[in-house]
Amino acid sequence: MSDPSSRHVVQIGPFHPLLEEPVGFSLTVEGERVVAIDARMDYIHKGLERLAQERTYDMVPILLERICGICSVTHSVCFCNAVEDLLGVEIPPRAAYIRTIIGELERLHSHLLWVGLAGHFIGYNTVFMWAWKYREPVCDAFEMLTGHRQNSALPLVGGVRRDLPVEYFPVVRKTLDELEGQTERLTAAVLDDPVLAARLKGVGVLSAEAALDYGVVGPTARASGLATDVRRDEPYAAYAELDWKVVTQDGGDVFSKAVVRLLEILESIRILRQCLDRLPAGAINLGTLHVPRGEGIGRYEAPRGEDIHYVRSNGTNMPERLKVRAPSYVNIPSFRSSCLGAPMADVMITLAACDPCYSCTERSLVLRDAAGARLLATPGLIEASRQKTFELARALGHAPDLELDPA
Amino acid sequence: MDATAIQSRLREEFGARVGVAVRSAKRLYASVDAADLPEVVRWLRASLPGCRLATSTGIDLREGIGLYHHFVVNGSPLVITLKALLAKPEPHAPTLATETAAADWIEREIHDLLGVRFDGHPDERRLLKDASMAGELPLRRDFDPVQFKERIGERPEF
Repeated sequence: MSDPSSRHVVQIGPFHPLLEEPVGFSLTVEGERVVAIDARMDYIHKGLERLAQERTYDMVPILLERICGICSVTHSVCFCNAVEDLLGVEIPPRAAYIRTIIGELERLHSHLLWVGLAGHFIGYNTVFMWAWKYREPVCDAFEMLTGHRQNSALPLVGGVRRDLPVEYFPVVRKTLDELEGQTERLTAAVLDDPVLAARLKGVGVLSAEAALDYGVVGPTARASGLATDVRRDEPYAAYAELDWKVVTQDGGDVFSKAVVRLLEILESIRILRQCLDRLPAGAINLGTLHVPRGEGIGRYEAPRGEDIHYVRSNGTNMPERLKVRAPSYVNIPSFRSSCLGAPMADVMITLAACDPCYSCTERSLVLRDAAGARLLATPGLIEASRQKTFELARALGHAPDLELDPA
Repeated sequence: MDATAIQSRLREEFGARVGVAVRSAKRLYASVDAADLPEVVRWLRASLPGCRLATSTGIDLREGIGLYHHFVVNGSPLVITLKALLAKPEPHAPTLATETAAADWIEREIHDLLGVRFDGHPDERRLLKDASMAGELPLRRDFDPVQFKERIGERPEF
């Protein structure tokens, strides 16, 4: 069984159809069993910490939104938490609720994204289609409230930059009502499915001891029975005033992580309804703030777990040092514990189970010319795309089976 | 244990070797000699259930390289930061990777970006830096991006 002469190294990535971002995994296998795993991470280091040292406190949140294609609210609010810790200020209640609303919408669309990807990775594309279909209206709601489906540009040290358009709240409520029913059906279908149980239960188990040793956070930790959630442990924004609960599971396997995320979607819907109902009136930020010398630490519960920023100020209008630690940074190395001894076929879904960060920000619905006139809508864009494919195929000399529909 | 209780326990245990400052109920900072780090960390993790290394910060200061280890206690708002000052030109500190797996990557990162050697680290390979930057320390104050780009043959854009 463990004959070292039969060892092979299987390389996954850095470019792989299942990995949207470049990362390299080397799996050392003996037959089907993985005996060693190593990750290579140096493909997309962007030097953002150094860039942040050359931006003013007003500009840094805008820069930090670009760290991740999904967690844009996460990093900018986390930075604001850190600077507000340094300043020792409380933000106005309305700003706290607005931060909670955009943060929870982000959690909803991020968890739905993962559920879809997880389904896709195990070849269960029905789950993928469902989850991503349910995700779109959440992104639309985010766009309605902030003007963009990913980057809101709202968080600002001392509050938020703009108010939310309350006239759209009924649409957001309707989206949440629909999503609640859909998620309940999806959760019931996943929990009852014998195929999914056979595929995911007992796979990629991360024990509570290993979870603490690797310092994992978020759903990855909560699925191993560690009840850690920054929203409850160190309440920021409006979480201290809201009624919700921390979801934990004891299995530590991929199935538990899926259950934690699905149940958290329902908790996020509860949080959002309370925020929309109770949004207090008043100021949305503290105006211009001078940041004195000092240091501060901010924490934030991102969809993938605790995000932590350290800020040091030397009294100028730019941070002297900003340290960013995203949740995936501590979740990814735990693969060494959860993948060793597993068969090759289980590794992919185990790697995906902590939701390593993917970007997905491309979308086009309607193309307009400079004057704002509508040139192409979705059917037109699809038609234009097919036309382009047809022309490319004809140029390459294999047109016959790609003939466009005469209609 | 709250921040002031931890402060008095640290004083009992380590005396003048640890200088503790409680900034608020949620933030405790303690300056430690680099050589004492593993001992203090072992004590922290044994005395506080659910204590984990959240991350570490390396910072280039005038007087040396600052190495800050941020510990979080699961279920509490407390962040405990252990601060050590490492002397230039060859800053080094004992590794924590043999104490907790969470220290592995972050120490490799600080080694990449600031050139701090972690004595006894089991794996000192590059983690984040591109291969073209192998000899550079991009978070040091004397790192010049313009000169670096010229050296590797790229036209500087700024």
